[in-house]
Amino acid sequence: MAYDDLRGFLDTLEREGQLLRVSDEVLPEPDLAAAANAAGRIGEGAPALWFDNVKGFTDARIVLNVHGSWPNHALALGLPKNTRTRDQVEEFARRWDDFPVTPERREDAPWRENTVEGPDADLFRVLPLFRLNDGDGGFYLDKAAVVSRDPDDPDDFGKQNVGVYRIEVLGPNRLAIQPVPVHDVAIHLRKAEERGEDLPIAITLGNDPVISIVAGMPMAYDESEYAMAGALRGAPAPIATAPLTGFDVPWGSEVVVEGVIEGRERRLEGPFGEFTGHYSGGRRMPVIRVDRISYRTDPIFESLYLGMPWTEIDYLVGPNTCVPVLKQLREEFPEVQAVNAMYTHGLLGIIATRKRYGGFARAVGMRAMTTPHGLGYLKVVIVVDEDVDPFDLRQVMWAVSAKVDPAVDVITIPNLPVVPLDPASSPPGIIAKLLIDATTPVFPDDRGHFGTPVRDLPETGEWVRRLQALRSEELP
Amino acid sequence: MTAVICPRCAHETVDHVATSPVPGVWDVLSCGRCFYMWRTTEPERRTRRDAYPESFRLTPEAIAAAQEVPAVPPLRTAR
Repeated sequence: MAYDDLRGFLDTLEREGQLLRVSDEVLPEPDLAAAANAAGRIGEGAPALWFDNVKGFTDARIVLNVHGSWPNHALALGLPKNTRTRDQVEEFARRWDDFPVTPERREDAPWRENTVEGPDADLFRVLPLFRLNDGDGGFYLDKAAVVSRDPDDPDDFGKQNVGVYRIEVLGPNRLAIQPVPVHDVAIHLRKAEERGEDLPIAITLGNDPVISIVAGMPMAYDESEYAMAGALRGAPAPIATAPLTGFDVPWGSEVVVEGVIEGRERRLEGPFGEFTGHYSGGRRMPVIRVDRISYRTDPIFESLYLGMPWTEIDYLVGPNTCVPVLKQLREEFPEVQAVNAMYTHGLLGIIATRKRYGGFARAVGMRAMTTPHGLGYLKVVIVVDEDVDPFDLRQVMWAVSAKVDPAVDVITIPNLPVVPLDPASSPPGIIAKLLIDATTPVFPDDRGHFGTPVRDLPETGEWVRRLQALRSEELP
Repeated sequence: MTAVICPRCAHETVDHVATSPVPGVWDVLSCGRCFYMWRTTEPERRTRRDAYPESFRLTPEAIAAAQEVPAVPPLRTAR
């Protein structure tokens, strides 16, 4: 099931019991953010949250936590809502192989229904903006898919980027954006600024659930996120031409904001409570001028709460950061069984692998640190045997506790790159990295006394199925 | 009514950014110096200088010293 817009997905979430409508009147602050924060504190399987009775607004429609649980993430991919996390990641990796799927251009985008431009392009008139955390510098757009092109190669569809960046509202038609240097929009902006130009930009809000996933995916510079969306959806991604910039934007967006990043301008931005569970900011960031806003009638404002993990962003980005590392490792090392790099966008990752020979597992761990995503993340890598499920932290802790000899299996490598947002990095962007080899040593590495492991009984798999069947019969 | 100052940096020039669609419920204000933005109905810890947490406050010196990210690159020279 491929969703062409956010509304279609919300219908499914509601049908599956994964959308909760809050009908009581709430304050824009602190209620909206506190409710979404609480969604991450009520256990597994939290629903999306819908608000349409917000004090002071006449027709606000706000949805939060759309991707904020494994059932919601499974439904976004068209999978049954009870699909195991490891299976969701493996299916994600399988569909990745269908990349690229050419998108489908459509003409009748519903966001063409309404347009404001020039002095009338006032974000506050279209969006019910609100604050998330106490220390945030203002109101943020933090789940928008931002489209930009390479100023030196504007006709290259693959180099057109679709990414999620934190965007602070500075005024009715002014925004600040954080382009981290490793991200594609920062490359586009640098080229525009070297040319002495503004960088045209389209900010799309309220997208179908797969667009939000691919916009947060670490992909190669010349790979199209739309072509990846098609692979993940199992159907071409519907796109349309934005009227002002001419950029390709999602056909199904609720709102399309167009304008420019003003070349060679910077303004104080932040702080903002980040995915690391810490604020970052107080820096001078590029500024966007809004020139045109297109929107569906009765637009839905989709936003995302983030703060101390886990929050929605961990579910939204977690599988994204597993799959590239998994695939890049498997290209060279088919022994790799699974990668769980879901912790703080992959600052910590767990790799399960078979061993070719002694020392192999730690070599795989080091290679993970030099994959494109690993360069800026993977501060801590734990390597486990092929029979340990890296998504089952109980098994991972067993491997670390029983297999590791701290004298030789714990390796620290100083002064490696990391995202500057890592609060432990010093100076920002530089960190030591840690490799924990929690695999069983194999020849010629004959350390320890691992010769007689106790393995699951051959009949256990059948009993797992029997017990699950019996339990499901007993449930109401 | 006492003059509104920025809860974060105590600047005395505050801009009016937006007003509630239901008249008279709230306004959105913005500091002319540090660009802090707030809604008048937010809790006092976000809207009043005397209740605003020390750890989030900004001084003129910190504002002036803010780092540029990303740095503005040199212009390409004409060939």
